[in-house]
Amino acid sequence: MTPRSRPDEAEPPGVPGFGTWRGVYLFVFGWFVVVVILLSVFTAIFS
Amino acid sequence: MNGADWVVLLGTIVGIAAYGSWRTRHVRSLNTYLRGNASTGWGTIGLSVMATQASAITFLSIPGQGFESGIGFVQNYFGLPLALIIVCAVFLPMYRRLNVYTAYEFLGQRFDEKTRLLGAGLFLLQRGLAAGVTIYAPAIIISTVFDWPLDLVIVFTGLLVIVYTVTGGSEAVALTHKWQMAVISAGMVTAMVVLLLRLPAGLGLTGAAWVAGALGKLQAVDFSLDPSRRYTVWTGVFGGLFLSLSYFGTDQSQVQRYIGGASLREGRLGLMFNAMLKIPMQFVILLLGALLFVFYQFAPHPVFFNQAEWRRHAQDGRFQAIEAEHAGAVVQSQSAIRAWLQARASDDTAREASARAAMVAASDRTHAIRAEAKAALVAADPRAKATDSDYVFITFILTQLPHGAVGLLVAVMFAAALSSKASELSALGTTTTIDFWRHVRPLAAADEARNVRVARRFTALWGVFAVAFALFAGFAENLIEAINILGSIFYGVLLGLFLVAFFLRRVGGSAVFFAAVIAQALVIVMYFSLNIGYLWYNLIGCAACIALSVALQAVLPPRAGVNEGRRG
Repeated sequence: MTPRSRPDEAEPPGVPGFGTWRGVYLFVFGWFVVVVILLSVFTAIFS
Repeated sequence: MNGADWVVLLGTIVGIAAYGSWRTRHVRSLNTYLRGNASTGWGTIGLSVMATQASAITFLSIPGQGFESGIGFVQNYFGLPLALIIVCAVFLPMYRRLNVYTAYEFLGQRFDEKTRLLGAGLFLLQRGLAAGVTIYAPAIIISTVFDWPLDLVIVFTGLLVIVYTVTGGSEAVALTHKWQMAVISAGMVTAMVVLLLRLPAGLGLTGAAWVAGALGKLQAVDFSLDPSRRYTVWTGVFGGLFLSLSYFGTDQSQVQRYIGGASLREGRLGLMFNAMLKIPMQFVILLLGALLFVFYQFAPHPVFFNQAEWRRHAQDGRFQAIEAEHAGAVVQSQSAIRAWLQARASDDTAREASARAAMVAASDRTHAIRAEAKAALVAADPRAKATDSDYVFITFILTQLPHGAVGLLVAVMFAAALSSKASELSALGTTTTIDFWRHVRPLAAADEARNVRVARRFTALWGVFAVAFALFAGFAENLIEAINILGSIFYGVLLGLFLVAFFLRRVGGSAVFFAAVIAQALVIVMYFSLNIGYLWYNLIGCAACIALSVALQAVLPPRAGVNEGRRG
């Protein structure tokens, strides 16, 4: 086990529209919130 | 199953295993054997993480859960995206920076050898026991349904996975995962399409959803604060967060899937791919189960879906009376559903409410007769297997799908079993080699070829152990819960160890070690003495480990030096 240097930690996500990993995490969190809201609406409609 | 089904089944399952073995037969590098190909991209990592989690139980039990209890089980996955964000931001960069083969090496760096061995030991105990369950679970169902010898199915599955996992290690596992996920996706889409086509004319997906919803199968979210309820938004978000954080952040079978790869970016994107897809995927599988419930309101079906078990015991007039009563109740239930659909279309609120009440009463009566059938089975033989929800989907596959598609769906079950099993074996072999064998043979670490040979032997040994465990052990009936309960008992404390390592720099090895031992004993005692949802044990074990670590550190002598493992 040899510790590596850190260059790839600064690597940008390389995803169109996202300059930082924080942006990617916020997007995924937002997606999760949307999914829970959609499931709540689904429950309200069909239950 | 006819010839076409056998060609599809063996062609896909044996073909993928043979391809994986052949493509990775020359692997000699320890890094490739334990971490996979160094150029692996995020797509392969993402599929490999998904395939590791998606065991055969996912595709046998979860549609059964949707059929029996509705789709509320989806809440179990609410903590998963949040956990994966934490793993991406905190765990993965640290593992890659330290260039570790196992997550438990990090504990050794941060604390000491005894804490590393405790972490690795908890993993081997939990995952080693689960290894038997994941091979037994699909085997018992498939052997029962097809009347194949159980031992033969276990040995066939076990040998197949041992061959390619031992041959190519982590690289073979990732390579076969891609193709196994392709088979699984194709099979599940086929099953859903056939199910929608088999629904009564004029009902369609929306009509079926209205019926399922009215009969209580589509409550996806429940905001109740009642702690005795097994699946709520809160157990999902909090208990599920801790379970997922433990599983993805500290379980070597998952860590091994994403610590390799071309760069940190590839691992992160692979995990984010799972964070976005997992809940929708589980929702669709559960919805399939709820739609199966609607389908069987209109189609003839047995009172008890495990027909082999039913025929074994149903030999007197009482069972025939139950069957006749059930058939009559199903006809009444069909009439009540059709009457409700007509009332609903009439815009007459009072009529609709009355028809809905009649439909729910008719459905409850059918449900009560099924419960009576199960009680009769247990009365005839207390050892009888009295749950049949795992057999609902496979019954649909065998009776409703065309030939060829039946083989594809059975291949789905085997592909899922092999994919999760391969990750487990590779992780068990890696942890035993790196954390235990190297601990007692420190001088052997420099001999790469010897390390690969030893890793191969340990992987094979764990495979043989899993097969033997599956052959000789008896298991709880609800298999997916058995695995989740087992995980919840051990994962919380394991996660506590890692959270202390990452976030509480002042806590040293002795404090966290004894805290973890006490917390684990506490969780086991609580499990046998309390009646609370098992997901809470993840939170309790983790919280106890962290709190005890802080308390013990306060009374123990201060650490001689700080070694957080955060050095570049």
